[in-house]
Amino acid sequence: MSYVIAIPLLPAIAFAVLGPLSNRARNKAVWVSVAAVASALVLSLIAFVQVWPGGHEGEAAYHASVTFASIGSVYLGVGVLLDSVSAVMLVVVTLVATAVMVYSLGYMHRDARIGWYYAVLSLFTAAMLMLVVSDNFLQLYMAWEVMGLCSYLLIGFWHEQVAPRKASLKAFLTTRVGDVGFAIGLAVMYATAGSFDFAVVLHDFQWAPATATAVALLLLFGAMGKSAQVPLHVWLPDAMAGPTPASALIHAATMVAAGVFLVARALPIFEASGIALTITMVIGVVTALLGGLLAAVQHDIKKVLAYSTISQLGYMFVALGAGGLVAGFYHLVTHAFFKSLLFLGAGVIIHAAHTQDMREMGGLAKKMPVTTVTFTIGSLALAGIFPFSGFWSKDEILTVLWHGEHYIVFALALAAAFVTAVYVARLWFRVFTGPEQTSELKEAHIEMLVPMGVLAAISAVIGFGSPYFAQFLGHEGQWPDAAIALTSTAVAGLGLALGWWVYGRRTRVINTRPLKQRFAVVYDALSLKLYFDLTYDYFIVKQFSRLAGALATFDRVVVDGIVNGAGAVWRAGAEVGSLLDIHVIDGAVNGTATIVKAAGARVRRLQVGRIQAYQGLMVGALVLLMLWFVVKGA
Amino acid sequence: MLLSVIVFLPLAGAILSALVPKDRGDIARMIALVVTAVDLALVLLVVLRFDVAGGMQFAEKVAWVPQYGISYNLGVDGISITMLFLSALLSLIAVVASWKMETKPTAYFAMLMLLEVGMNGVFVALDFVLFYVFWELVLVPMYFLIGTWGGPRREYASIKFFLYTLFGSVFMLVGIIALYLQSGTFDIMAMSGLGLPATFQWWVFAAFFLGFAVKVPVFPLHTWLPDAHVEAPTAASVLLAGIMLKMGTYGFIRIALPILPNAANQWAPFIAALAAISIVYGAALAFAQTDLKKLVAYSSVSHMGFVMLGIASGTAEGLNGAIAVMFSHGIVTGMLFLIVGMVYERTHTRMIPDISGLSTQVPVAGGLLAFASFASLGLPGLSGFVGEFLTLLGAWKSDVPAAWVVVAAVGVLLAAAYTLWMVQRVILGTPSATVVDIKDLSAREVAVLVPLVVLTLVVGLYWNSILRFTDPVVTDIVSLLAGA
Repeated sequence: MSYVIAIPLLPAIAFAVLGPLSNRARNKAVWVSVAAVASALVLSLIAFVQVWPGGHEGEAAYHASVTFASIGSVYLGVGVLLDSVSAVMLVVVTLVATAVMVYSLGYMHRDARIGWYYAVLSLFTAAMLMLVVSDNFLQLYMAWEVMGLCSYLLIGFWHEQVAPRKASLKAFLTTRVGDVGFAIGLAVMYATAGSFDFAVVLHDFQWAPATATAVALLLLFGAMGKSAQVPLHVWLPDAMAGPTPASALIHAATMVAAGVFLVARALPIFEASGIALTITMVIGVVTALLGGLLAAVQHDIKKVLAYSTISQLGYMFVALGAGGLVAGFYHLVTHAFFKSLLFLGAGVIIHAAHTQDMREMGGLAKKMPVTTVTFTIGSLALAGIFPFSGFWSKDEILTVLWHGEHYIVFALALAAAFVTAVYVARLWFRVFTGPEQTSELKEAHIEMLVPMGVLAAISAVIGFGSPYFAQFLGHEGQWPDAAIALTSTAVAGLGLALGWWVYGRRTRVINTRPLKQRFAVVYDALSLKLYFDLTYDYFIVKQFSRLAGALATFDRVVVDGIVNGAGAVWRAGAEVGSLLDIHVIDGAVNGTATIVKAAGARVRRLQVGRIQAYQGLMVGALVLLMLWFVVKGA
Repeated sequence: MLLSVIVFLPLAGAILSALVPKDRGDIARMIALVVTAVDLALVLLVVLRFDVAGGMQFAEKVAWVPQYGISYNLGVDGISITMLFLSALLSLIAVVASWKMETKPTAYFAMLMLLEVGMNGVFVALDFVLFYVFWELVLVPMYFLIGTWGGPRREYASIKFFLYTLFGSVFMLVGIIALYLQSGTFDIMAMSGLGLPATFQWWVFAAFFLGFAVKVPVFPLHTWLPDAHVEAPTAASVLLAGIMLKMGTYGFIRIALPILPNAANQWAPFIAALAAISIVYGAALAFAQTDLKKLVAYSSVSHMGFVMLGIASGTAEGLNGAIAVMFSHGIVTGMLFLIVGMVYERTHTRMIPDISGLSTQVPVAGGLLAFASFASLGLPGLSGFVGEFLTLLGAWKSDVPAAWVVVAAVGVLLAAAYTLWMVQRVILGTPSATVVDIKDLSAREVAVLVPLVVLTLVVGLYWNSILRFTDPVVTDIVSLLAGA
């Protein structure tokens, strides 16, 4: 099964081919990327079939590793590990990547730098696949950082504009805040377990609770950055400044899920800690709720989806925190499909409506049937309506919470589900119903619609695979618990109904002002993004800039001042000395002085008048050395 | 013989170049090109024939001043060969990068080659007197390079550079003499692991520390560096940052740790503290700069802090990491200075607010600057990450207080901040007035950078490309430290 190695390599080669080309040549060679990723998809499907029916947790169907660093007796390797988890991820990543790349042929075809776009997308896919097949945490971390680079490059793709430029910087730095934690976590792991290998760290090594907690929380911190969990979520909404299909792949389906993947992989460490699980769950549920609330007040369609992603990722963290590996991982999978579908749909909508502001949209349903149907499937999946995929995975999470007796978190997760349904309805009715705002609405090209159709089909039916998914991962598969399923459906239905009540009844003009006035405090707080950005901007960015400026002054005035001061004192001393020199040993060195003068005249032409003194100092040092020999010899 | 040829071939080149008529810069640069290229080829020959498990190799030892035990003693091991390669490579690159030098070209190329003599010599000398001679020899050509071919404040910068480092090396000389008096030899290798008295070690270490720390430079002894870097011509900046700073850390690893292991352990917490401060202090100051060259200069203070942290850790990870940072910083900062210089030649400014949109107007220059920036901020897969990460691992594993390691890790974040903020202003955006008419890099300029790009990738992707040389030597040093 060594062909598995080719899966991450193919897109990497595509990048290596495209990267060094000239812009013009690159623009013509985008098919290289598409072909590479499509081939990776085929290989991933083969791998998946070969792993089927799975069922052996922690057992590798294929494993290969080579050493790339040896330090003392420690060998650091780069490996390819194919097990149930990575087999699923391979398919998800290559499938969404292929869909996005095909879609982008239409979406980006007029862009002057489409070749570069595809090159970075390829590198990203390679890194994500490398992360997925990692057999150790170091490789995972390295791939993780490379994804961060690609995310940076794609967010800032249209860097001539200010917003993408700023957003890309913010994204890189915010995630890197988390990565500092991740890196220290790796150092603690290495110092404790002496290895990064999953086999050692997750299976053989017996973790003491205290160190397990330290490592788990540090890794979690990294995951929070990448997966945009509160309070490190602030970069993701801004990241929407990038091309929409890139958002679909990176900022919805794959990279942002890497944090979830990390926690899922490291779950044995979290379990050894205990408290780390609880913290994961709390952060997850807070994020799920806040993300949902913030999504509900956005007017930019992509920002709604961005906050929605934050919220859904929070759901996954909740599941993992409750020990529900299967539920969390399953939600990762279903979310990858329906959210990338929604983003691709949003791309079509934005192209058609020439705006991202939902208040300026409306009536798309009549003119854009394919988009409407696919987007609706994605919306229902997100809202958690039976039989669409989101229903099943969300239900599993709720079940895990209920059976784990986390009743408060269960209630909060239900509340988040309610909010989700509300903002889904708000978005849907705003965009698809009501009067048409522009007359030029027309359906997108076929290369954009086909990927959406595929993703929609998957999102519509994949839920029924729910019990088999659990079995594939080596757990007991179950059909949903009827009581919980009914509860969550009722909650989601209520949310959709409320959304319809406010935004869907086009018998009158949508008027949310009374609502906003009644809940002014809440609304203002939400529309200011709960003050996170303001706080960071004031307390971190501004203060750091001030500190850096103050340190620069300190360096110039104090540190360098001491140096220059010492120099001045030395020079004064030297002048006293030279007076002595002239009067005392004048005659003795007359001859030498002539030579020095002559040399000095030449050197002065080079504008370096005082060099003799320093050469003298060096000679003096050598003389000192000679003196010691004499002393020693005598 | 091979090492002697490698060291003194550039001396012959320098003399030859100085004899060329002053208006025949074309001959001088051709001499310099041939000499540095042949030198690099010879170094590669040494690398190819090098046995990584073989300890000190290509040894040459001839009595020089036998009554004092001074000998002409050369040799390379896995650490020195890494630095020797860097020195020969950057010297060649410096020559090609200076191809258009028109001010006193014969003297200029003579100075570049003379500089290479000193740099190569420092890394292969195994006798203290020889080491000291090469160490001081480096100062002279660099002094003239800055003082003659430098920017507007060249006189101040060159004198400050010269005096400051001389101030440090005088202490080093005292340390050397003390060691001689104690051990009766100048043979560096013979002195390692002698088990010298602890108090004696402490004081000698103090002397060496001052000598080396100025060169590195470690906070607060760093203020000569930004001035020297900013005023120096591009090629000199490349060699200053790429090689000369490493002489300090090389001194720690080659001399201070193996010969004075007790003291090294005692000094470790202090060095770790200064290292961590250097990392964040250098980063914060880099953030505050508006001059591109100054930004790179202060980033050097930050990166060299990682080297010092690795040295302070005294672990295999930390020391391997330290050398990896030294190597990576040499090639990456070399790239940064080269590209900044190339941009300066076109825009006649280095002020960040005056430059924007490089990637649009000059995609090759902008792209390569971005590449170097990402290597510099420690992106995995590129060389910068290797050493920084290993250093963090080693420091955490060692007795270095965890707080300093956390501070250093935050430094990695700050590196991303100042680097990407520069990228955002200079490379991205729409072309500024200074940039709008400029031409992209010439084939020669690209050729200068390509070897560095390739090395950045090779080291970053396959760590053993460098670790296979350093690790065996590091293992020996670590066991000396552990036994102390």
